[in-house]
Amino acid sequence: MLDATNDDGRAYLQHRAQQFRAQVARRLDGSLTEEEFRPLRLMNGVYLQLHAYMLRVAIPYGTISPNQIRGLADIADRWDRGYGHFTTRQNIQFNWAKLVDIPDMLDALADVGLHAIQTSGNTVRNVTTDAFAGAAADEIEDPRPWAELLRFWSTDHAEFQFLPRKFKIAISGGKRDRAVIAAHDIGLRLRRQDGRLGFQVWIGGGLGRTPMIGKVVREFLPAEDLLPYVEGILAAYNLSGRRDNKYKARLKITVAERGLDVLREEIEEEFQRRRAVFRGHDEELLARLRDRFAAPVFREVDETGFHAARAASGAFRSWIDTNLSEHRVPGYASVTVTLKAPGAVPGDCTAAQMRLIAELAERHAHGDIRIAHDQNIVLPHVPKSELPALYAALREAGLATANAGHITDIISCPGMDFCTLATARSVPIAQELADYVRARDLDDEIGKFDVRISGCINACGHHHLGHVGILGLDRAGVENYQITLGGDGYEMPAIGERAGAGFPYDQVVPAIGRLIDAYLEVRESPEERFIDALRRLGPAPFKAALYPAEASHA
Amino acid sequence: MLDANLDSRAATLNARYRNHAAVQVLRHALSDPDLGRVALVSSFGAESVVLLHMLSVASPDTPVLFIDTEMLFPETLDYQREIAARLPLTDVRVIRASEDEIAAVDPDGTLHQRDTDSCCNVRKVVPLERALSGFDAWITGRKRFQGGERKQLEFFEPEPPFRLRVNPLAHWRPEDIIDYMDENALPRHPLVARGYPSIGCAPCTSPVKPGEDPRSGRWRGSAKTECGIHFIGGRIVRGPVAPEPQPEPEVARVAPVAHLHVVTPVMERPAASKDNEMTTADLTQASTSAVPQADAPVLVRDDGFHPLEGQPDVSLPSDTDPDTLADHLNAAMIAVEFPAMTDGRGFTLARLLRELGYKGRIRATGSLIADQYAMARRVGIDEVQIPAALARRQPADQWLARADWREWDHRSRLAG
Repeated sequence: MLDATNDDGRAYLQHRAQQFRAQVARRLDGSLTEEEFRPLRLMNGVYLQLHAYMLRVAIPYGTISPNQIRGLADIADRWDRGYGHFTTRQNIQFNWAKLVDIPDMLDALADVGLHAIQTSGNTVRNVTTDAFAGAAADEIEDPRPWAELLRFWSTDHAEFQFLPRKFKIAISGGKRDRAVIAAHDIGLRLRRQDGRLGFQVWIGGGLGRTPMIGKVVREFLPAEDLLPYVEGILAAYNLSGRRDNKYKARLKITVAERGLDVLREEIEEEFQRRRAVFRGHDEELLARLRDRFAAPVFREVDETGFHAARAASGAFRSWIDTNLSEHRVPGYASVTVTLKAPGAVPGDCTAAQMRLIAELAERHAHGDIRIAHDQNIVLPHVPKSELPALYAALREAGLATANAGHITDIISCPGMDFCTLATARSVPIAQELADYVRARDLDDEIGKFDVRISGCINACGHHHLGHVGILGLDRAGVENYQITLGGDGYEMPAIGERAGAGFPYDQVVPAIGRLIDAYLEVRESPEERFIDALRRLGPAPFKAALYPAEASHA
Repeated sequence: MLDANLDSRAATLNARYRNHAAVQVLRHALSDPDLGRVALVSSFGAESVVLLHMLSVASPDTPVLFIDTEMLFPETLDYQREIAARLPLTDVRVIRASEDEIAAVDPDGTLHQRDTDSCCNVRKVVPLERALSGFDAWITGRKRFQGGERKQLEFFEPEPPFRLRVNPLAHWRPEDIIDYMDENALPRHPLVARGYPSIGCAPCTSPVKPGEDPRSGRWRGSAKTECGIHFIGGRIVRGPVAPEPQPEPEVARVAPVAHLHVVTPVMERPAASKDNEMTTADLTQASTSAVPQADAPVLVRDDGFHPLEGQPDVSLPSDTDPDTLADHLNAAMIAVEFPAMTDGRGFTLARLLRELGYKGRIRATGSLIADQYAMARRVGIDEVQIPAALARRQPADQWLARADWREWDHRSRLAG
């Protein structure tokens, strides 16, 4: 185990921080060339960005304690500019780090049981899962013990540190998938079959420049065979993934080129050999992990005050209608705190906000905090009796925006304002679109509407999975934005389809405005979401709205 | 931060430990923040076993530096192996001069006949100084009763410009040493019974007659009474000591060597796998001082650099079809190629070979760097062949830093 609850875990994190400190020193004294240092810094989460080094810290499976988030706040204050940026993969990025400070930052992380190990590089990345794990009403089982098992197993795994390309694993325990299983190199969905617990195993999903929905390689894998089977997948990929072209190096391309059946055969064969090597210690650890992730002691909740407050305040009612998710225990709810207030940069969180969340989690929510892949914060276990006080405190801090899942709850990468890879700005588009919707007071009217923006083809903003996706590109030195329609990262995994020609920067928000109008026009009822209307009608009416001139010539 | 003023640090520590016995001095000193990083320097001579035993009880992880001048009595080497095997010390490092250094000053091994100071310097003072460069203090076995320069010894002595010396046995009498060895049933150096109460290098140590000073057998017939290692920073300064300007050394400096290459962990932790257990005997016989000569490649193992030896029966490119691995299971040695450090296919090929039951030697060849040594070992690779240029840029200590590959091997712990 690699966390602060455990001396051994902390000692390991300190050891890794020390190792990186030595690697920085060895880079400076010439023992390591820049070329050699690069993969080493990447596997420690250190990127060279536009303005400075960026440190990407893992929030393993999105679960973070109040003390840990306070640790992040301290780091933001001391070594960054007082904030961090939550990503779509349950990481937080500090964008203003100095290389010489990074070993100290890693030490500070280790002190609270956090790390930046394998948040980058061609290795197994931070394992992600459902932000509502352990709380969701539709959960088969809490996926986090397996996520932690996978993290422990993959950390410093000797065989898989130099894969053909990065490798992402997600695991999901709900009947509804909230971890975008189909967009990962390996996606694991917990299943129960004939009383046995196991996984439906997906491989070969991924976004980026060649978005692909994963395929099911095994319908049911008994849970105890997880590690040897995952090793079988990785061994097959490590040997046969392409290394001649980085754009063709992800597992999704290997699956597409070699065929799912060929790979399945290799995986199964290797799985049998590896199964002989694993002798049950992983099962023992898993039993301990289940104890560690045991739910808090839930209490009887008196909902009288909650209902009174709900009746009394329209704003409170609006917030709970939008930002609450059903909890498996009566009297409880999960709360989404969106980082998408008016004018906010999606995913940015200040040190003060982090400390406030820590305090509110302790006071109202059993001290449990999650970072969701949609760049929001979730308090998974909130007794409904605490909701009025929690709401009041959040509202005072500007964190009670009632827009979870709405069109203003936009997922966005940092874009060209920070990232060296980006070819266009993404944050300003997100801000201007949200401003536009708010100016027309349409946020609640539109309801659930998933917009995602990426500032380059690498698709960190997961634009392919948005009901509406916006991809910023560079066309001969000019920003140009492609719009995709019909993506879905949840119930029916789907890659959005490109609607047509791209738009210049200043035409993007007006185009989405026409799209909104068309949707409001054609929907059958307020309950019919944009994505439902699109599925019912097909893309034609929406393309016509995006490209009125072409439509009028047709 | 350590107090930069050595004299005041020594005084503080002496005051703090004035009334302590040797064992307490040792035990407390090792965790005293005023001391910093500490190593024990041992000759594995006549009385060395006392401190080594104390250390093995108080703090077995403390580095122990053993200087092999390559002029020692064979009995000393045997004794060193015996003690290292018997005491649970986990970080015994064998320090030697490099072949380059010896070749430059003492190519035929006769320097001791012409210039004992120079010989001590190249074989002992310089290598030790280099090995001590990362430490804030070192522990010696010197005692007041040894007389001469040592009559005024304190527990803590400044060693300008940067280090402290710790002398836990400073106040011990000869009978204390004997008692301690008897009470703890410690093995004696075989030469003691043959009239050598103080043992250095073979050419410069002779037996002592009853009634003579025990150290009178050292450099007999010359005015020399100390090899020099205990004088660094004192009256005599030899070898590359400090970045600060130093008085011109009395003895010609040996040619500077760019790197340290023989810091050798002799014993594995007790928990280490039996299959890979490394004994002291393996190491003292291993040519760990293999300095990359010209462009000859170097082999890296858990104990440092070795000259290239043996020839793989087959060399597997990284695109080897895994279905063909079973054809090679009878080979004595298989090379697994890593065409680039970022090409990790060889790690899986090696793992597959081991899964198929391959028991022979696996050598990684190509482009692995020191930071990947632990990965190679964990997947079943025994040794890594590296080009001379890389061995110069990443000397043995950088590889030895990852010889701890059994530590923190999460995957192996899970597999069981």
